[in-house]
Amino acid sequence: MSDELWTPDLTVDLAPNNPRELRLANPVIAASGCFGYGQEYAGVIDVERLGAFVSKGITPEPRGGNSMPRIKETPAGMLNAIGLQNPGIRGFIRKYPKLWARMSVPAIVNISAETVDDYAMMAALLDEQPAIAGIEINVSCPNIARGGYCFGWDPEMSADVTRAVGAATTLPLIVKLSPGAVDVVAVAEAVEAAGADAISLINTLVGMTIDVHRRRPTLGNVTGGLSGPAIRPIAVRMVYQVAAAVRVPVIGMGGIMALDDLLEFVMAGASAIQVGTGIFVDPGLPIRLIDELTEWMTRHGVRRLDEIVGAAQPAAARQFRFAGVETAGDSA
Amino acid sequence: MSQRQLGGDLTVAGTSAPVRSREFVGEVVGIEPIMGDAAVLSVDVPMTVVHGLRSGRFFEITCRDEVAFDPLLRRPYSVYRIDAERGRLLFLVRPFGRGSAWLSRRRPGDRLALLGPLGNTYDIGPTSQNVLLIAGGVGVAPMVMLADEAIGRGLNVTFLMGATTVPGLLPATELPDRVEYVVATDDGSKGYHGFVTDLAADYVRWADQIFACGPESMYLELRTAIGPHRIGRRPTVQVSMEREMACGLGACLGCVVETRHGMVASCIQGPVFDLDEIIW
Ligand SMILES: Cc1cc2nc3c(=O)[nH]c(=O)nc-3n(C[C@H](O)[C@H](O)[C@H](O)COP(=O)(O)OP(=O)(O)OC[C@H]3O[C@@H](n4cnc5c(N)ncnc54)[C@H](O)[C@@H]3O)c2cc1C
Ligand SMILES: Cc1cc2nc3c(=O)[nH]c(=O)nc-3n(C[C@H](O)[C@H](O)[C@H](O)COP(=O)(O)O)c2cc1C
Ligand code: FES
Repeated sequence: MSDELWTPDLTVDLAPNNPRELRLANPVIAASGCFGYGQEYAGVIDVERLGAFVSKGITPEPRGGNSMPRIKETPAGMLNAIGLQNPGIRGFIRKYPKLWARMSVPAIVNISAETVDDYAMMAALLDEQPAIAGIEINVSCPNIARGGYCFGWDPEMSADVTRAVGAATTLPLIVKLSPGAVDVVAVAEAVEAAGADAISLINTLVGMTIDVHRRRPTLGNVTGGLSGPAIRPIAVRMVYQVAAAVRVPVIGMGGIMALDDLLEFVMAGASAIQVGTGIFVDPGLPIRLIDELTEWMTRHGVRRLDEIVGAAQPAAARQFRFAGVETAGDSA
Repeated sequence: MSQRQLGGDLTVAGTSAPVRSREFVGEVVGIEPIMGDAAVLSVDVPMTVVHGLRSGRFFEITCRDEVAFDPLLRRPYSVYRIDAERGRLLFLVRPFGRGSAWLSRRRPGDRLALLGPLGNTYDIGPTSQNVLLIAGGVGVAPMVMLADEAIGRGLNVTFLMGATTVPGLLPATELPDRVEYVVATDDGSKGYHGFVTDLAADYVRWADQIFACGPESMYLELRTAIGPHRIGRRPTVQVSMEREMACGLGACLGCVVETRHGMVASCIQGPVFDLDEIIW
């Protein structure tokens, strides 16, 4: 390593195939449902330093959400059944794009719907708005045309949503995969073929607890989504499998609580990561991850994040997708 | 350790932010038994945190060791009292489950990761002269701070406290002298034999405002007990709602209370609500 002064390049473009690009100053993103609408943490952390943030899931109509209790702590994790409480796409548009216009951090809108047409309708409305950097499609929703079977569990249904949204907007599209899919790789390949600019994973895993005193399910909604460190090994495995199968950028998440966790996802093949539950527990975490990653890259002579994306993938996968990636073993 | 050192480069489980943020590190300086199995935990914090703090607000405290993930979520704690000169927060902690048991085992010198102050406050109206405070169990915490505030403003304060048995009652010495303190126990071992809410009816006509903190069942009893004696919505009643919380900042919507204005986050628009606004 030469003595010349340099700082590592943390920037990442999450939509290299889209002329509108989704260029982030660093790969650390606040996850949907865990960061409100980008305003809530303003007095606590420097929101502008984030790579990006994703809004709470927005639906076609306003929703009051599920009955209480909505959250339940579990071993090294938590269950949530918020029920997508949100002001609806029109209420959202009245309030947030103009607040976001005053911020420089990229703001991504997470959308959920129960029909393909509704997804497309929301995308068309968002397309006209300022200050929106991209759309994250949450396919972990019941498809009412298919008897409530979750879009995200089926490659074709996920691809239908992706295509419809892509036809309605030129905004960069991230499709957020559900870990409940029978074959998550098949879903990833299908949404890539349908035009996804990037793929994020994983959403929460469905779980439940029972209140043994009351002899009833704890959550008002009976089941909820499991998040936090408890799900991390599953998330890392899915990112590893998906990243080897697609060429679009992959955004990894699930239980990230420290720099080593972030590195696991990156080495599995993620070009960026999201932090959800970790922010509740430790609001300073995302900013600390950026600082610690910068320091780690400097210390290890990693000039660009690309150099370690997919570093843990087998050689064949690295040739297919991660050209230029060297493992520690190769470069030492 | 001086104030300036606190919250500087120190990090403990779940914190890294500078003092300016609402995320900071405090140092335990004392833990004293007070009533039953509950203790008062004294924590030195940056001066700016204590400045202007009012009753009802709370802090989210990380209740685990630095390297552990259990219990994962922070626990909300109301402020029991402040020492503005020393920059000190006092909390009333009852070991109940895992988080509170961990907190009850803290010793002087231990560091704590806090997030706050969070939430809204109890509000004493500008024309109020007589205020009725009602506490159930460890719900007494924000009521003590409110009693301090009301006495400081020269108001007449009656403080009703209920507990299952005598050890669960707040010692009278904890309250300012001018407070009229009336107690009730479920087993009749001290004071009135029965629910503290039964006592409230006698004060309804006297009180300009009623403030309460306790379990939700207590609020329902209170509503029934005072209903026939109120004139319309007078006196108004402010209650603190207890909800399990994750973020404490209005981001997750896990802590909502159903009100006439919809589902609202109790960590932002609460924990203090007008009793008549809540849909029970
Ligand atoms: C705004 C606010 C202020 C608070 N102020 C104080 C205070 O001043 N002093 C104090 O001692 N506590 C206070 N609490 C409660 C405290 O935050 C903890 O939630 C409580 O002590 C339980 O945490 P734990 O980890 O000990 O229990 P856990 O291990 O989480 O729970 C043990 C058992 O109790 C049940 N449980 C947990 N929380 C509740 C609840 N809120 N109501 C009913 N059952 C529950 C769980 O389901 C479980 O079965 C306050 C709560 C809120 C929301
Ligand atoms: C309280 C809560 C609400 C969430 N809401 C949404 C949502 O509206 N849309 C979505 O796509 N994901 C939502 N998620 C999932 C997270 O964005 C993330 O995929 C998941 O929690 C895993 O990451 P984590 O372990 O870092 O939290 C939510 C998660 C939590 C904990
Ligand atoms: S605890 Fe998250 S919104 Fe209140």
